[in-house]
Amino acid sequence: MSEPRNENRPDFDAAAKRATADLEARIARARQQSPASAAAEPPRQGSMSGLSLGWRLGSEFFAAIIVGAGLGYLLDMFLPTRPWGLIVLLLLGFAAGVLNIVRASKELNAAAAVPPGTPAVLDKDDD
Amino acid sequence: MAEPAIEPIHQFRIYNLFDFGTFGGNGAEGSGTTIAFTNSALFMVLILGVIAAFLVLGSSRRAIIPGRLQLMVEMTYEFIANMVRNTAGTEGMKFLPLVFSLFMFILVANLFGMFPYFFTVTSHLIITAAMALTVFFTVVIYGFYKNGLKFLKLFVPPVPWYIIWLIVPIEIISFLTRPLSHSLRLFGNILGGHIVLKVFAGMVVALIAAGAWAPLGVLPFAMTVALTPLELLVGVLQAFVFAVLTCVYLHDAIHPGH
Repeated sequence: MSEPRNENRPDFDAAAKRATADLEARIARARQQSPASAAAEPPRQGSMSGLSLGWRLGSEFFAAIIVGAGLGYLLDMFLPTRPWGLIVLLLLGFAAGVLNIVRASKELNAAAAVPPGTPAVLDKDDD
Repeated sequence: MAEPAIEPIHQFRIYNLFDFGTFGGNGAEGSGTTIAFTNSALFMVLILGVIAAFLVLGSSRRAIIPGRLQLMVEMTYEFIANMVRNTAGTEGMKFLPLVFSLFMFILVANLFGMFPYFFTVTSHLIITAAMALTVFFTVVIYGFYKNGLKFLKLFVPPVPWYIIWLIVPIEIISFLTRPLSHSLRLFGNILGGHIVLKVFAGMVVALIAAGAWAPLGVLPFAMTVALTPLELLVGVLQAFVFAVLTCVYLHDAIHPGH
């Protein structure tokens, strides 16, 4: 697809060449005609609606508790630890849920743009 | 007639289009496994047909100056390829077919669901769970294949020894959570969105049928109109989120050290 290979090919589509000759100028002209759309383009990526953000964090937390309780229940079924497996693993499930939420929000914070006016000095907790 | 139209769960019902027959069982009613072609299966076939047509038609001309369709196909590919490269690393590119297939399937399924009278495949937990478990087992199997027992380092973050006994079970539970939250999120978003849409649309019908209250039907109608593009957004976004999380999990399989 690179430029030199196309030039060497004798059967290179002349029409295509003619069509691309002034492509750059045409793009520049089109950009000039709609400055608003060009300016508003970049920050769109990574934005999330509030609903999906809620679902994201909610399901992370909820799922960890379900998995913890389920594992504890299974453990109690096969080992004579009833009811301690369920109790301990349910609590660990809560802890895992919090861990999941912390990780998810860390990811979201990293993906989000830095708000203007933020001091350039790092917090000592950041690493 | 009005009753089933307003009932919001009705749209998720699965029914058999035709049977292939019943296997096993003793011949009594309800015993054995009936293999049937359901409406869900029909829509999955349609989705695959649309994806295949889109990709094959779009890439068949292979023009140097792409047409609209070819441009769409190329942009879709590059979008996913860049995402995999950025999130899972260059080594993750060998999983591009998996991520691309998942993304396209979920995206087209969600968009299909926005058509009236169409069945939404992703509104059933079994479909999303199957996809999430595919990702989960891919991560586990590839992780052990690639890293051997070093894959278990994923569960041992660099923390002091006196709390490690507490952290490791938490990390393991957190890891096992992934397929559940991965599948629940997509399923819940789509199911919830479609039910809300149907409830508001049902209110319009109910109010118009209520005679004197009919002018108030404008309010839920406006809500339905507002919710439809939101649902489109949610459908696209959830396909993207599913693909991104797949890449994040694959990154763990390739580089288990934090």
